[in-house]
Amino acid sequence: MTYQQARWDEPPVWELGTAAANEALPAIAGLPERLRRKVAIRWPELSELEVVRHYTRLSQMNFGIDTGTYPLGSCTMKYNPKVTELLARRAGAANVHPYQPEATVQGSLEVLWRLERILSKITGLPEVSLQPAAGAHGEYAAMLMVRAYFRDQGELAERTEVLLPDTAHGTNPASAAMAGFTTREIRDKDGSVDLEELRRAVSKKTACFMLTNPNTAGLFESEILEIAEAVHSVGAMLYYDGANLNAILGVTHPGRMGFDVAHLNLHKTFSTPHGGGGPGAGVLAAGEKLGPYLPVPRIVKEGRKFRFDYDRPKTIGKLKTAYGNFGLDLRAYAYILSHGEEGLKHVARRAVLNSNYVAARLGKYLPRPFRPLVKHEFVLSGAPLKERGVRTLDLAKRLLDEGVHAPTVYFPALVEESLMVELPETESKRELDGYVAAFERAITDTPEHLHAAPRSTSVSRVDEVRATREPLLSWKDLRASGPKAETP
Amino acid sequence: MPRWIPDEPGEEAALLEALGISSTDELFADVPKRARIGRMGVGPGRDEPEVVAEVDRLLERNRPLSKFSSFLGGRIASRYSPAAVDAIVSRSEFYTAYTPYQAEASQGMLRTLFEFQSLWVEMTGLDVANASLYDGATAAGEALLFCRRLHEGHRFLVPASLPWEERSVLANYASGPGLQVETIPYDDRTGRLDLEFVRQATARKDVFGVLADVPNGFGHVDEGVPELKSILGDVPLVVVADPLSLSVLEAPGNYGADVVVGEGQGFGISPSFGGPLLGLFACRKEHVRSAPGRIVGATLDADGRRAYALTLVTREQHIRRSKATSNICTNESLMALAFVVYATSVGPRGLARLQASLAEKARTLASGLGTIDGLKAPRFDAPYLADFTIEIARGTVDEFLDRLRRRKILGGHSLKDPRPEVPSEAERILVGIPEMTSEKDITKYVRAAQAAIGAVGRSA
Repeated sequence: MTYQQARWDEPPVWELGTAAANEALPAIAGLPERLRRKVAIRWPELSELEVVRHYTRLSQMNFGIDTGTYPLGSCTMKYNPKVTELLARRAGAANVHPYQPEATVQGSLEVLWRLERILSKITGLPEVSLQPAAGAHGEYAAMLMVRAYFRDQGELAERTEVLLPDTAHGTNPASAAMAGFTTREIRDKDGSVDLEELRRAVSKKTACFMLTNPNTAGLFESEILEIAEAVHSVGAMLYYDGANLNAILGVTHPGRMGFDVAHLNLHKTFSTPHGGGGPGAGVLAAGEKLGPYLPVPRIVKEGRKFRFDYDRPKTIGKLKTAYGNFGLDLRAYAYILSHGEEGLKHVARRAVLNSNYVAARLGKYLPRPFRPLVKHEFVLSGAPLKERGVRTLDLAKRLLDEGVHAPTVYFPALVEESLMVELPETESKRELDGYVAAFERAITDTPEHLHAAPRSTSVSRVDEVRATREPLLSWKDLRASGPKAETP
Repeated sequence: MPRWIPDEPGEEAALLEALGISSTDELFADVPKRARIGRMGVGPGRDEPEVVAEVDRLLERNRPLSKFSSFLGGRIASRYSPAAVDAIVSRSEFYTAYTPYQAEASQGMLRTLFEFQSLWVEMTGLDVANASLYDGATAAGEALLFCRRLHEGHRFLVPASLPWEERSVLANYASGPGLQVETIPYDDRTGRLDLEFVRQATARKDVFGVLADVPNGFGHVDEGVPELKSILGDVPLVVVADPLSLSVLEAPGNYGADVVVGEGQGFGISPSFGGPLLGLFACRKEHVRSAPGRIVGATLDADGRRAYALTLVTREQHIRRSKATSNICTNESLMALAFVVYATSVGPRGLARLQASLAEKARTLASGLGTIDGLKAPRFDAPYLADFTIEIARGTVDEFLDRLRRRKILGGHSLKDPRPEVPSEAERILVGIPEMTSEKDITKYVRAAQAAIGAVGRSA
């Protein structure tokens, strides 16, 4: 193997310098003594170069898409175009305050309005809001909208249940529960929704069925129209989790499939960077029934002018301060503008082609539990590794030594020792072949090496059990734990 | 068209051939005909220079803050961020990474988040911070649900002066589990919370939490907030704190706060028309298993070296599903990086000096505006740092701000709830001091405010 991540022996920032402990804080007139800070914030006083070096070294101990192939299933780790970074930093984008008068922010309003219109076409749903900060935030908002809708219908007392397939992302049941619904999971049949099971499960108690399509097993739910019919037959709503929209751009859309409301992740399908965990940007798109419940403000165009509209009597109100993650919205807009209709269709086709190609090749090493034709991602089972005393986790860690990121592991839970692999459209055949070769080297390595992996990252296998058993969650805890844990 | 999808001669053909198919159409054979669409209607693709030109054309229709003398304040700040902050945030090892599930390959972000957590712990006087939430308002919403896990009851008390957006977000968070958000009235002269109201409300034993903000929605520092915990007893106290103010204000953990949340945008994050922002959350260690969001913990690697990992994950949605403490998955990690790099670049002394200088300018502005007939500035008789509230006696806030805008002054923002179904409120404006505001800007504002009020008086 040729990969070696940086391995700086870099102390925590508070060990790099000393805090100004006994210095008097500047006096502020009129401040009551009870509320005056007695001890200055204990944090080191460093030079700018020291700060820059410290965080540059930390960055070198982090793996990103720009470092290597990042086949993390359900996360759509595609290239984050540099031009979108440039545009988001323009003064006209970054140095604009959300509480400026409308007349001075017509550009921002137009960007948001245009993006909403385009996403309406892409989703096939007429009404769009960009307010959610992330996908799960959008799911939650959608569940609040469903709740408000049934309240207005006088049915909230009986519509208490949200159904979801057992392949659903964890955020789905969590969002539904936060919105006050009970949740029930529908068992799958060969990785897809079991239509008969769903028909038996729906009733007047059902408020909503939450579905990801293609689903987290990478399979397109081919019975989607029948699913929509079953859900609508009892008066319930059908919700689209847009995490996997990348695979079907221009082929189908939530509106045509019969969904009433959808969320999208701009940080997946529309290439905005994941930021090491965030920020994301969520999108809410709704049909006629749920559209009036979208958060305020909405953006309206009157003549050539754009303005905020707060006059939506059925709205659920606000989801967060201001209007959404504008910096990400702008990046997504530039991305869509670049690709255009044909480019977006090509995105889906190439992403699906890439994943099917790698699925076919990796199928030689590990079993694929479901039908072979997948969309943007596929699932493997690492169960046979157990015969050699190896687990999926070991394989994932060994892959890191190859200079590629590990797949998503142990999800979906319905597959034993699962690995979920997604290779977006931005990976070339050369990179795909390199990934397959890396996978082969990793899986054919000795159990000893697999257990000892990774060796090329900035630290070796991290003891996550210890982290949970003896939680050390800040520098206070580290100090209290004494020098023994600090330097073993 | 951009070169974002690889297109080497023969490349796609080779992939198709390996799969034994002749067209990518075959890969979509499982999408039923009736579910297919024709054109989306997105328009043709463009080359990079065309995209840059088009986006720049749109952005030119904005007038950024630099074109004005700005006095916009509140939770979203417009401060100078040292160039070093964006240089670090722009490192693609950070910004193109996913959530650090694979700890060994992600020590850089994990260590950064651990430092960020440690800083917020130090600033708030609490024990544990999470790795960020979406923004200050949603952090308050999560704090509400957190309090309910700690304490029985169905009523949550918040100041009537809390910004309307936050009250609306809190109402949403409360609605799912059927909880109520009630407002605590304030003294008309000082804006201080009515502690007697809190005492009586909590005596009924059905209050599960109380929230107070320092500075409050009027920009003022409420001297009564440190008294709250002695009234509440074991009812959890949530304090919404402005990070910069904590450079000079007492850590809320030291006066009994059980949770401290806040908006972190002012530390190295551009206003960007309101997003991305940064939600801050800290609590006591004994409550950590009820806390929302990702948390980074320190541990060891297989060789006994210090290492970091996401921890206490059994609280989270991907493990606990409907029983999770929150649905949050994607958070604001990159913004947390900006926060800690900003604070470390400026340093604790620099932060305190900055806060003191903003407070000094705010006093100059307030005393200037205070001399104007028809304007009450500050509206409340209470201490303040960088923000305070003014009230106009003649005309409307919109008219007043519009007249200032014509003189290239952003005179603050209306405190009214803009939703038409909400009853009309007093004509109040929150005025703030952004870092770049000069003495000259302040003189200009005072003169323009005088003229604006005078003009309204004449036209009335």
